[in-house]
Amino acid sequence: MIDVKKLWTKRRNAHVTQTLKYFSLMANSGLIVSLILLIVIGSVYYAKLLQALPENFPAVFILTIVFSFWLTKSPIRTLLKEGDLVFLLPVESGMKQYFSKAISSATATGAFLTLFIFTLLWPIVQFFIHDGWKMYVTFGFFLIAAKVFNIYVSWEERRLPYKSHQTNYKIMRFIVNFVYAYLLFNEAYIFLIAIFAIMYVLKNFVFGVFKKQHGYQWEMLLAEEQSLKMKGYRFVNYFTDVPALKQTVHKRPWLNSLASFSFKKKNALSALYMKTFVRSGDYLGLYVRLILIGFLFIYLIPAGWWQLIVVFLFFQMFALQLFTLYTQYRWNVVFMIYPIKQDTRVKAFQNWLRYLLIIQGGFYGLFYGLLSGDWMIAILMPVGAILYSILRLPSMTKKHITLTS
Amino acid sequence: MKLILEVTDLTGGYLPNQPVIHHLDFTVKENEIVGLIGLNGAGKSTTIKHVLGLMEPMSGTSKIDGQTFREEPENYRSQFTYIPEMPILYEELTLWEHLELTAMAYGLEEQTFLTRVRPLLEEFRMDNKIKWFPSQFSKGMKQKVMILCALLVEPKLYIVDEPFVGLDPLGIQSFLEYMVKFRNNGAGVLMSTHILSTAERYCDRFLIMHEGRLVLSGTLEELRVRSGLENATLDEIYLYVARGKVT
Repeated sequence: MIDVKKLWTKRRNAHVTQTLKYFSLMANSGLIVSLILLIVIGSVYYAKLLQALPENFPAVFILTIVFSFWLTKSPIRTLLKEGDLVFLLPVESGMKQYFSKAISSATATGAFLTLFIFTLLWPIVQFFIHDGWKMYVTFGFFLIAAKVFNIYVSWEERRLPYKSHQTNYKIMRFIVNFVYAYLLFNEAYIFLIAIFAIMYVLKNFVFGVFKKQHGYQWEMLLAEEQSLKMKGYRFVNYFTDVPALKQTVHKRPWLNSLASFSFKKKNALSALYMKTFVRSGDYLGLYVRLILIGFLFIYLIPAGWWQLIVVFLFFQMFALQLFTLYTQYRWNVVFMIYPIKQDTRVKAFQNWLRYLLIIQGGFYGLFYGLLSGDWMIAILMPVGAILYSILRLPSMTKKHITLTS
Repeated sequence: MKLILEVTDLTGGYLPNQPVIHHLDFTVKENEIVGLIGLNGAGKSTTIKHVLGLMEPMSGTSKIDGQTFREEPENYRSQFTYIPEMPILYEELTLWEHLELTAMAYGLEEQTFLTRVRPLLEEFRMDNKIKWFPSQFSKGMKQKVMILCALLVEPKLYIVDEPFVGLDPLGIQSFLEYMVKFRNNGAGVLMSTHILSTAERYCDRFLIMHEGRLVLSGTLEELRVRSGLENATLDEIYLYVARGKVT
């Protein structure tokens, strides 16, 4: 018999260790510095923004909206794994202890984050509603209470077998939360007690009934867990490489023309690389981000020939990141046995990369030209992309191939 | 009949000095379907990897059309297509684009591609799914994509690894009909499978592997004679071999 309590502890510990590891990796990456910078600048502007807000700013309404959404959204990390659908099904009756641990943990996180968000918004409360530590404590307490209620009943809601039914109840919770938050920020405590009564009835006589009618919706719980996990990974991926991140495919039909090649053998792999680039979640996002950050640098640095060096650095960054695509199909047997020569394969990859670099250079050039009016240097940017791809790419590819094979 | 694939004294494996397959000798000729049969771990997939040119033999050769992979890599690989046991698809490509990419990679003319692809899609009832991505396909449909890609090229040699798992009965039937048709037109097929009743009906010759060695080979009649089991089915001969009765 599996000890589900121990199983939870084991998984939670593994999860915490992994999270801490990723945090330390994130702290080591350069981006964290810019994030801190952003927070400092942000808080200065936040203070300024508050003073600039008009007298009749609808603070109560906005706080109500924010918290209605926040309270309704009640994610629960169950730390389920795919194999559980096979191996834990037999102990379904014992899973109550496992899941109650998951709920407690979600409650703790939820309560903490609620207080965190409230603290972020506290200056608005101070400004427009009421100041004083007693207010902070009272509001904080009531918001956390509502969060706990939501997590608890949303767990029962997860027993419903159809997504559409779950959504209906979610809408109901949203309405309750809206009224609750509205009354709270209007400091109408008498009415709040009435809402408490309604919540009690909901908990015991509406959501409480599901337990008797339905079991656990394993597949939905697993899907939720996986999507929450991927969300976490995607966030970390901004700072450092996450190998476990599954690539999501976006169709992006408007970009298909970029990836259309004439029907020739030599174009086969270029077409494949371009389609992968255009449709996979991360490559295109990275490209656009690098172009935008490049714009920022061109904007901040005074005009001059040294801008070419900046642009060159961005070419380098992009090319380095994109080499992962070259290795993406390394273990794909079907790809490996195409009757295509090794140097044709390498050339297809380089041509494709060159194409993207020229577009990147073109964007930088256009932006620089419009900004400074110095079209001479602007023209040199896409030309630089061509030079870069001729002079740098072959040696980079060679190095990459020997490193990875 | 002309030889297409000729494997001579092939020994190979994943670790030096620890071969998984030992001194294999076999051929696939024009106009024949050869069944490669053996227990899990008998060395069928390793054999196939050597034939594909994905693993280097420790000794011996695998020749297609008289050439080894080392001698003429591009030519060697353009002689065959391969249907893997587990479907391998590009997550970013639609069904149509998989077919198009395969046709381009094997150097088909666009016109040839277009005339071949329609009847294939209809036969496997995938003609209304050409814009679908792999994430929308079931396991059987993914297997069909692999089969379509392989059939589209119409090569001299088909290398097929356990094609029936996950495929619906109609799909299996369509696939076998195509195999027979191409065989009659001169192609050779090397097919690894566990479905012995099907193999018995469709394969012209059999290679039975056990613990990395080829223990029996020949037509069903020859197998019966060599094993001394008269009127035995392929099933019975196979079980006899798998229990180690033939050395």
